[in-house]
Amino acid sequence: MKAAESIDQFYLLKQLPKATALLCKEGVLLDASCSWLGIFGLPPQDKNQKTKIFKLYAEASDLKQKLRDNKPFTLQHKTETNNETRYLKSYFAPWFDKEENVIGTIVQTDDITSEIQKEKQIDWLNNILKTKVEVSKTGWWEYEVETDKLSWCKETKRIHQVPESYQPTALEAIDFFKSGYSQNKVSMLFHKVRENHQPYDTKLMLVTYNGEERWVRITGKPFVKDGKVRKIFGTIKDIHDEEMAKTRVKEHQQLLSTLVDSLPLNVYVKDLESRKILVNKGECNYFNKSVEELIGKTDFELYSEEMAKVSREEDIQVMKHLTPIIGKETVSKLNGKTTYFLTSKIPHFDLEGKVCGLIGMSLDITAMKKKQEQLRSLIDITSTQNQKLISFAHIVSHNLRSHSANFSMLLGFLNSEKDPKERQRIIDMLSNASDSLLETLGNLNQVVDVNTNTSVTKKNLNLHQSIVKVLQNLSAFLDENNSKIINNVGKNLEVNCVPAYLDSIILNLVSNAVKYKSPGRAPLIILNAVKSKNSILLSISDNGLGMDLNKYGDKIFGMYKTFHNRKDAKGFGLYLVRNQIEAMGGSITVQSEVDKGTTFNVYFNEES
Amino acid sequence: MKKVSCIFIVDDDPITVFGIKKMLKSAASCDDIQIFQNGQEAFEAVKKRKEQGKVIPEVIFLDINMPIMDGWEFLEELIALDINEHIVVNMITSSIDPMDYNKWNGFKDKCPYILNFKNKPIFKIESEDLGCINVAS
Repeated sequence: MKAAESIDQFYLLKQLPKATALLCKEGVLLDASCSWLGIFGLPPQDKNQKTKIFKLYAEASDLKQKLRDNKPFTLQHKTETNNETRYLKSYFAPWFDKEENVIGTIVQTDDITSEIQKEKQIDWLNNILKTKVEVSKTGWWEYEVETDKLSWCKETKRIHQVPESYQPTALEAIDFFKSGYSQNKVSMLFHKVRENHQPYDTKLMLVTYNGEERWVRITGKPFVKDGKVRKIFGTIKDIHDEEMAKTRVKEHQQLLSTLVDSLPLNVYVKDLESRKILVNKGECNYFNKSVEELIGKTDFELYSEEMAKVSREEDIQVMKHLTPIIGKETVSKLNGKTTYFLTSKIPHFDLEGKVCGLIGMSLDITAMKKKQEQLRSLIDITSTQNQKLISFAHIVSHNLRSHSANFSMLLGFLNSEKDPKERQRIIDMLSNASDSLLETLGNLNQVVDVNTNTSVTKKNLNLHQSIVKVLQNLSAFLDENNSKIINNVGKNLEVNCVPAYLDSIILNLVSNAVKYKSPGRAPLIILNAVKSKNSILLSISDNGLGMDLNKYGDKIFGMYKTFHNRKDAKGFGLYLVRNQIEAMGGSITVQSEVDKGTTFNVYFNEES
Repeated sequence: MKKVSCIFIVDDDPITVFGIKKMLKSAASCDDIQIFQNGQEAFEAVKKRKEQGKVIPEVIFLDINMPIMDGWEFLEELIALDINEHIVVNMITSSIDPMDYNKWNGFKDKCPYILNFKNKPIFKIESEDLGCINVAS
């Protein structure tokens, strides 16, 4: 009866939904529910099997002792079957009979594998979060609307530079932002996320606990339940260094671009194909094109083929041999306008030190070049003037000295001369000398006049008319010598001249032509005039004696140089003519052949 | 008074010629004084004398600035004639142009004759102008 009862009992035990087992006082398994046996992978039990419990709880070495204590306790353990680990939790309680004597132990076992795994996952996630926070330096915060409680993570506290024990309130948190824009903005955003469920993500300036001003990026996101915001979760990231670096980069860029743009240079960067990849304002202004119009263009699209070729050759030279061109004088023609540049081209390297193009700089030196040319012509003028002055000084000294020397000599004779007839001769000579001196002075004066009165006004004069007028004045002289004059000068041709000089030039050249006639021929004088771009050429040809120019050359225009034995040859006319024509910016040349004739070419400068 | 066989005065200025002639009267005795207006005339005369074997001028007073052929050109031609006789050439000029002086210096070296440089005004013909070596100086 007792046994049947107990069997029933055990049968009941078998069916318990919760894994349960009964142990005798020695720790031998009496019976267990099917679920319990399933957990440990044991077959159904009968009396012949004496399964000792301790084998099943290998991790708990003190289990025997614990069972003897007759007190309830729990034990966590695991089983491993077919590579599967199961986490278990067993509850041990003493088993009493009706008289409250301990007759064994009741064991209940729960499979807690899923809980353990969840815990592990949470741990893992926490770990990830922690690493993420550490690496990204992004802190988080959480605000509970109902309790008005704000919590900061460790990183958030670090960003605020507060001790880890610090517990912020929402108001304090807002106060950490720099008063003014940052603080106003953050309170507005916080209000909006609370009231309108509007998330935010912005950059603001924080003032840390230690008073440091730092840029932070903050976000906020509402957690809504039943249409009400329960929680606000957000992040905070210290982006000060990046912001400052960005600002510095921007500042550097700004500085560089301002510098490049404001340089009084045309600056451009070209790639390996000589396409422009950067141009400054100067370069844009030069081409009268926008930056967009110039980028990607090569010189072949901007200049003439010929010039572009030269430029490309230079580019290749610079990029291939890495030899920079520094301050090379170049000439650019664009839309018919010529510009002189001082050009420099230097190789452009990428960060790896490989050449990736070139940097070009051109300084417009057109104005300087013009000034230089002006200066050069001024120097030329000055040195010619100087030369003239020196030769004039010599002429003056020579001619005046020769007369004064004669005076001294004659007066010396006069002092010691007793013979009245001889004295009279000397006195006659003195008066001759005085006359020649006066004439010389008159001549010199004329020359000085021509050279100093450069402001004498020029007028447009009809060349033909002027010649006719001079010929009329000379008519007696011309007739006397049976001269024939052919005036081929166009009736409408005008020259810009000082009237008196023009008359003098024509008079001297025509009368010279007659004076130095060949004894065997009646003088024939032909006047021609040709107009060219900047000047009018008047040529006066004769059939007279002519001269050996190899012998006399330019001397014929010198003062007091005479070449023929003629009493009235003073050597002054041509000197005066040359001075007059040069004073008006023109010039005079001569061609001659002995006993054939002479041609004087007078070039009137018609440039205004 | 030195006896000179032949003197040439080459100058286009009649006053200078007059002066030289006058001064020569008291410095030399010469029966053959010839006057020329320019270098060309004087050169032709010397050439003719050489060809005809006549007396070559012992002393020449030579102006620098003259028409047709100036003093320098005359000198050039004279040297080219290669006369193997003693000649004293006195260059007379009113020029104080240093260029003329330098030119004279250059000529002095290549001229086989005695070449003097005299600046006007001249008041007296010195004995060395006539080819006498002044032992005292």
